This record gives sequence, structure tokens and C-alpha cells, in this order.
Amino acid sequence: MTRLNLLLLLALLASSVYLVRVSYDERRLYAALDRARTEQRQLETEHGRLQAEQQAQATPARIDKTARDKLLMVPATSAIMKQVVVSAAPTASQGRP
Amino acid sequence: MSSGRRPERSTTRAAASARGLNYASSPLLASRTPASRSKLLVAMVGLGFLVLLGRAVYVQAIGTDFYQKQGEIRYARTLDLSASRGRILDRNGQLMAASVPAPSLWAIPKDFKADPSERARLARLLGMSPAQLEDRLDGSANFVWLRRQVDDTLAKDVLSLGLPGIHQVREFRRQYPEGEAAAHVVGFTNIEDRGQEGIELAFQKDLVGRNGSRRVIKDRIGRVVEDIGDSVAAVDGRDIQLSIDSKLQYFAYRRLRDAVMENKAKAGSVVVLDAQSGEVLALANYPSYAPSDRRNLSGNQLRNRALTDTFEPGSTVKPLIAAWALETGRVKPDTVIHTAPGRMSLGPFTVRDTHPHGDMTVSEVIQKSSNIGAIRMGLMFQPREMWDLYASVGFGQKPQIGFPGVVGGRLKSQKQLDEITRATMSYGYGLSASLFQIAHAYTVFAHDGEYIPVTMMKSDSPEGAAKVGGVRVISPQTAQTMRQMLSLAAGPGGTAPKAQTPGYSVGGKSGTAYAHAGKGYDTKKYRSWFVGLSPIKDPRIIVAVMVDEPTAGKWYGGEVAAPVFSDLVQHTLRMLGVPPDLDVKTQIVARNAPAEDESF
Repeated sequence: MTRLNLLLLLALLASSVYLVRVSYDERRLYAALDRARTEQRQLETEHGRLQAEQQAQATPARIDKTARDKLLMVPATSAIMKQVVVSAAPTASQGRP
Repeated sequence: MSSGRRPERSTTRAAASARGLNYASSPLLASRTPASRSKLLVAMVGLGFLVLLGRAVYVQAIGTDFYQKQGEIRYARTLDLSASRGRILDRNGQLMAASVPAPSLWAIPKDFKADPSERARLARLLGMSPAQLEDRLDGSANFVWLRRQVDDTLAKDVLSLGLPGIHQVREFRRQYPEGEAAAHVVGFTNIEDRGQEGIELAFQKDLVGRNGSRRVIKDRIGRVVEDIGDSVAAVDGRDIQLSIDSKLQYFAYRRLRDAVMENKAKAGSVVVLDAQSGEVLALANYPSYAPSDRRNLSGNQLRNRALTDTFEPGSTVKPLIAAWALETGRVKPDTVIHTAPGRMSLGPFTVRDTHPHGDMTVSEVIQKSSNIGAIRMGLMFQPREMWDLYASVGFGQKPQIGFPGVVGGRLKSQKQLDEITRATMSYGYGLSASLFQIAHAYTVFAHDGEYIPVTMMKSDSPEGAAKVGGVRVISPQTAQTMRQMLSLAAGPGGTAPKAQTPGYSVGGKSGTAYAHAGKGYDTKKYRSWFVGLSPIKDPRIIVAVMVDEPTAGKWYGGEVAAPVFSDLVQHTLRMLGVPPDLDVKTQIVARNAPAEDESF
């Protein structure tokens, strides 16, 4: 009986130590998870910012300016427009420069 | 006596067992204390335990909430989870407004310590003079904003100076990639991220989302180690998808700006509606402003003229009058109306046509925009009929588009519609409407006689879905006849041949009026506009253009506004993938036909 009790006591001690260790691990891992989540949020925000920036670089205003100033393009006028009618595909029959 | 015996016994016992010492019989311990004292002691100890037990019960059971709370205060923290503001997108998913991180820098002046060279460096980074920085730091001992919503990199530079007492707080700033082209539609937020204008204001509730919070346990170095209790997740603001097409919006804005500058005008507006779905494809005003830099803004720039400025719609309502006269069978397109001698007395006023035309058919009245012809038709109606006609196309009512600052214009009550009023209202005076309302009214012609609801939101139905339903005002046949008349008005011999565009048939009506000045009109200032649709057979779009106070020698709507209409129709229909319904070449010749001077 005494021996069984001793064994149980040992088991209890071991389990307690293990519990301490596990809960320590849990907290450590949770902290890591939380850090990762924060980083995820930051990266998401950054992604949003970069997306906005990318679009700011591709706005019609900027494209228009670049096309006019750098590429010396002009809007298509009727003088340089030729209408092509493709009977098979009616959607392709738009007037194109 | 007994004491005399005890030592002897003890010595004998001690001798008997060398290992054990019998303490119980030690004379030193021989107690002479009365039993009551030991009982008292036991009672005292017992009482002590009772007190401890009571305390334990109190701590564990009765006062537990208080102690639990006190404990939590020492290790638990509530973290705010901020919801991010929703984005505003155009119909193709292009960003029109988005939140980007922009930290704000603040300081605790009493903690702030820096030598003059460090102060100078900080001031330079913050973009202020050292004196300004000192001023700011003197403002309060505990808290001052150094600079709000700066770039991420600048905030890092400032913090890397390592000066004590300087902190940053994460904030977000709105970015508007479309800039001034879409400023009136999108609007802007203030520094607290609340919508102030446009869609940002109209949809503040949807955009803002809801902040959340979570209770956590933090360790000594501030790491979150455990979640406790209830956490409320942050709900991000909803994205708003507009019906606006950002490419078209930019094109409309640019074309309008060019027209305003070319005509040395004061201002202008453009509205492009999808005639089938009722969606607003573009809505632009000039002058505009850059939403990201709102210093020195004037009301002139801020005003969303297309929705807030009302004026007398003038000639643009004549087709409505003609449509009702046709609908009720009072006239046919070729019924002859006498307009000679080109003027007419209305009480104290005389109404004139720019050129006397003599006898004209109803079609010609619209084509040449004859005031007398319109009055003759308008006077055929009962007051109630005329009021119903105007009210059924939205005059006098605010357009239901959920936009701030929208106005409904003015429509007199039925009782006020005496003969003179009805006559003036027949050619578009004595009532007022915004450019948006006039464009909206034209859905009656474009949508086969139905007045359809318009919206700034992208409709959920897939592309090419059935047309939206509306309230029937005139029959499809009348609408079709009216479109033919409108195409005559925009053709050779009409008031606005410049509205024509290569490849697409167009129809529309120009309008010109003297600008209001005090109680009357200023005959040196004009307002010119044009409202039309295209293609004639099955209209896809309605375009309305208004230019305020052109001063470069041209003032007729057909001269000033129609060319803008022409370019917009061309561009929009090509972008929508609508196949041309006309041969391109024939139109180039007709476009240069001289315009008929319009009566206003």
C-alpha cells in the first residue's frame, strides 16, 4: 500500500512538473502566435498601401500625361479612323484607329 | 514532597536508558500551571485558526470578485482592435479611396530632452522651424501632437533619433488615387477618419466598421501570453463599389476642363448615365480640388454643381412638352404649328424666337428649338396635366441617389399654374432643376418611355442583364418618335450639329440661358448646356454637359456644350463595346454643318 502511494506521489510530482512545463510552452507559443498575427496584420496593411500606390501610378491621369508628353500620342480623331466591318463577329466591328 | 522524590527517579531513569532522555519526567518541564491556562492557549490557537478560516472564506467566497479584479488589473490588459475603413471602388474594382497607414507623432514635453543640434534635426524632419517646434512643445506639459499622419519612413527617421518623450500612434490616412477627377463623387474624410463629403459622408456608417477588443494576459516584458474572457472581433468597414467608371470619369473631367478653359468659362458639369441600368457612369465638375491637399479650399471648388446647382432647364424641356402632346394625341410629328411672327406677348413680357420661322411642324419646333411652338403646345395642357408631366420626370423632387447635398429644384404647385406660368414653363422657365435631374428626366426618351431610378452603386445583376424597370410616362412609340426628333435637333439644320460623333447616331437638345443676377437676368452672362442620348435606335447612354458663363465669344449650348457631348459619347460607347450604328465617313462631313441659332 505504501509502495503504491509512493508511486502515485511520484506520478503526481512528475505530472505537476510536466504541467508547469506545458503551460510555459503554451504561453511561449501563444506569444509567438500573437506576434505572427500582428505581423500578418502589418503585412496586410502594407499590401493595401502598396496596392493603393500601384494604382496611383496607373491612374488615367498619369497614363494620359505620359502618353501625351513622353510617347507623343494624340486622341484618335475621325480623320485617322477607319471602320472595319467583320460580319462573322459583330462585336469586333468597332471603329479603330 | 513529590519534588523531593523526582530527582532521584530521574537519575535512575537516566542511568537505565543512556540513549533516551525522558523529557516528560524532566523536572524543568514539570508544569505547575493550572489546566485552565493550557485550555486558554488551546482556545487561543483554535481561535487563530478560526480567524484564518474566516479570512479564507471571505477571500475565496465572499470577496472573491474584488480580489479577482484586483489581480486581473495587475496582469490583464484590454487591447483595442481597430477596424479598418472600407475602400471605395469603381465599377471595375479600381480603387477610388483606400486607407493607408500614416503614424502620428506626439510628445510628452516634460519628458522631452534634447540638445540644440538634436532639436534642429527634429524640427527639420518635422518640416518646421526650431522656433515653431519650441512653440509647440511649450503648448502643454503632458501631451502635444508633433505632426499627424506622416509617412511611415519619416516616423521611423524621427524615432531613430532616440529622443526621450517622443512617441508614435498608428493611424490611417485616406488616399485618393483618382485625385481631382473624382473628388466630388468620392468626397473625403477629416483627420479623425470621418466622412465629410461625397460617398465618404453618404456611406460613413457602412465604411467605418466596428472596433473590437480582446482581454489578454501580458507578461512582464509586454508579450501577450494568453487570451482571457470575451474578445470582440473587429468588423472591418464594408467596401463600397460605385457605378462610376474611373477611366470614363477621368476622361469626362478632362474634357470638361478643356471646354471650360477653351470657353474661358467659370465652371462646368458633366453627367453620364447608363440608359439601360440607370447607373451613373461619370459625374464630374470643374473647378475641382485634390482631396489629399485641402488647404485654401473654396466653396466654388467644393460644390458638386451637377447635383447642387439648379437652373431653369430652358429648351431642354421642350421635347417633354412635345412628347406629351404626341402621347395625348393632340398633335402628330407633322402637325403644323404657327409660330409667326416669331414673338408672343405673355402679360407684361414678350417671348421671342431667335429667328421667326413661320409655320413649323412639331418636329421642326424641336429641331429649331422654337419657343413660340413650345408655348402653343404647352397651352393645350390642363394645369394638372403639366404639373403631372414635370413631376413624373422628377422635377421638384430630390433625386433618390443617397448623396449628400442633393437638391430637388423648384416646381410650382398646381394652383400656381396660370396661363402665363404654363406658357413660360412650356419652354423651360419658371421651374428649376439640376443638370443631374435633366439627365435623369431624359431616361424617359432613352428607356422607351419609362422614368427609371438612377443609382451611384454598381448593380449586382451581371453584365447584359435585363433593363431595369421604371415608371411609364409615355408609350414606347412616342419615345421612339421623340428620339427621331432629338436626332434632328442634333443634325444638320438643328441647333446642335456639333453633337454628332463619328460612328454613332446621337440625339439631344441644347439649352442656353442668361445667367441669373439678382431678381432678373444678366444679359451678358450665359449658361450653356446640352443633354442627349446615343445610339438613337436603342440608347445605351445619356450624357448631359453644362458650361457656366462661357466668355470666349461662343455661348449657345450647341456651340459650347455639344462638342463635349460628342467626344464623351464617342469615348463612352467605344469603351462599353457598343458597335457603331453609322458609317464613319458620312458623319465627318455632316459634323461641320452650320448650327441653327437657338431661341432662349
